[in-house]
Amino acid sequence: MFKKILIANRGEIALRIIRACREMGVAAVAVHSTADANSMAVRLADESVCIGPPPGKDSYLNIPAILTAAAITGAEAIHPGYGFLSENAEFARMVEEHGFTFIGPKPEHIDLMGDKVTAKQTVKALGLPVVPGSEGALETVEDGIAFAREAGYPVIIKASSGGGGRGMKLVEREEDFAEQFSTARSEAAANFGDETVYVEKYLGHPRHIEIQVFGDEHGNAIHLGERDCSLQRRHQKVLEEAPSPILTEDERQRIGQLSADTIRKMGYRGAGTIEFLYEDGQFFFMEMNTRIQVEHPVTEMITGIDLIQEQIRVAAGETLSLNKDRIRFRGHAMEFRINAEDPDNFTPCPGTITQFHSPGGLGVRFDSAIYNGYKIPPYYDSMIGKLIIHGRNRDECIRRAKRAIVETVIDGVKTTLPLHSWIMEQPEFHSGDYTIHWLEKKLAEKEAARKADEK
Amino acid sequence: MKIDTNAIKELAEILDDTGLTEIEVAEGDKMIRINKGGATYAAHPAAPVHMPSDPTVPQPASNDMPIADVSTHPGAVSSPMVGTAYLGPEPSAPDFISKGASIKEGDTLLIIEAMKVMNPIKAPKSGTITQILIENEQPVEFGDVLVVIE
Repeated sequence: MFKKILIANRGEIALRIIRACREMGVAAVAVHSTADANSMAVRLADESVCIGPPPGKDSYLNIPAILTAAAITGAEAIHPGYGFLSENAEFARMVEEHGFTFIGPKPEHIDLMGDKVTAKQTVKALGLPVVPGSEGALETVEDGIAFAREAGYPVIIKASSGGGGRGMKLVEREEDFAEQFSTARSEAAANFGDETVYVEKYLGHPRHIEIQVFGDEHGNAIHLGERDCSLQRRHQKVLEEAPSPILTEDERQRIGQLSADTIRKMGYRGAGTIEFLYEDGQFFFMEMNTRIQVEHPVTEMITGIDLIQEQIRVAAGETLSLNKDRIRFRGHAMEFRINAEDPDNFTPCPGTITQFHSPGGLGVRFDSAIYNGYKIPPYYDSMIGKLIIHGRNRDECIRRAKRAIVETVIDGVKTTLPLHSWIMEQPEFHSGDYTIHWLEKKLAEKEAARKADEK
Repeated sequence: MKIDTNAIKELAEILDDTGLTEIEVAEGDKMIRINKGGATYAAHPAAPVHMPSDPTVPQPASNDMPIADVSTHPGAVSSPMVGTAYLGPEPSAPDFISKGASIKEGDTLLIIEAMKVMNPIKAPKSGTITQILIENEQPVEFGDVLVVIE
């Protein structure tokens, strides 16, 4: 086992990794920017090193500074957390080249999954269901129509170089195909300087279901069930829960086993998440994240397994301490992301926390690095904490969540806590009857109603 | 383990000279940590809080070294990167600078090694070196004050 680990991250995840290190008897080094000199991670780590000025590119993304900090503190391994350098294959490679251990997958797996096209081809070949599509560039209208006839309408035409929802054209009927195809191509050329497009079957009412997987260097690979992350706003997850309120035990075992088999065949090491869209009983692979995720505590709560400690153990070359047959899912868990944002219009709200009281009680966990008087720096992500609730069943979980949300006191800045209280009151949330578009649509209605009231 | 009392004495003097509260040095598997009170694990102790003082109460005389935060000194040269500081161009060569030496803008003050790359740190202005706050081969953080030029 390592004696000392350097944490190349900040905020709640840095603190989360320090906690895991403490329990394992491993010393933790926190690196930080000047803006985070007074952070909880710096305070609770065994050692800290200031690696640069506030902007992420000069500090938390500054590879030479991080490797130098590891060298001067004598750290043996580097945990990248999530975001920043966590899915940077070049960083993972350099970490290993400098004689440290990267707490994460092999660099080639980061590369493989980092490219949408190769990721899809890889997992398809290994047996995961993918969204039916044109397999690369779509050259002619005729090819597109032939595909759409087979897959069924609606289909969506996307720019190969696009992303974030731009350069997409929905086609509902065959007679519209030619026109949408040429519009998509010219928009792709105008937006991304590349007119290449491809076509896929369009899912109209999908849910976001992801499977937590884990592999080690000894050929073991397991899954730890799913997380339902269908409550999103602008492709950002707002609330995650496990188990999903709509999956059957059969579906869970089937997709979980397929996912575990996929990473076993890849020889994947460490924690990963395979994200799927789920519609009408079918799963479609979206992407694989080759890191620990923000919402990992949801899985921890229902399995009782510390995923960060498991990552560290696997990186140290040990065998997974988890045995597939001994994993039991207990109760229901939800995670509420608390952002320093206006809950109505979601503009970020950095500032000083003048009053803070953490929620508590049975089944309540609060992962955060904030404290009374903490200044939220304006340079980074607006997420300041995660409220995680566990209950014996979904109903108990919701009742406990309502209670804990209300007793959380964060004064001085606006937070998204009121948004969560509001979600807890929605009948669709209680029945579990929603898609990945539901929250955004509902919020737009709410905002319209608020504006009408003001007049 | 043989206890090197001279080394401890030397480190204790450095503590007093620099106003630091803790120094840790390691060579091979030997490690010495000198701590002047306070919590061992406060890697970054909170900045000293200056309580508003009653002017009628005499203040305790300060040590000969000013404890004032040197980073606010107008002549402070701080480290532009994390790395290991070297006072001379190579182990056997004399140091670039010494206390009291006068230097010209652009003169090399010291070297910081990061990722096997030697980065010369140049004087931002001409003047006299009044303080050198680091030791040879000392690890430095981004923003640590290296020297003061007046």
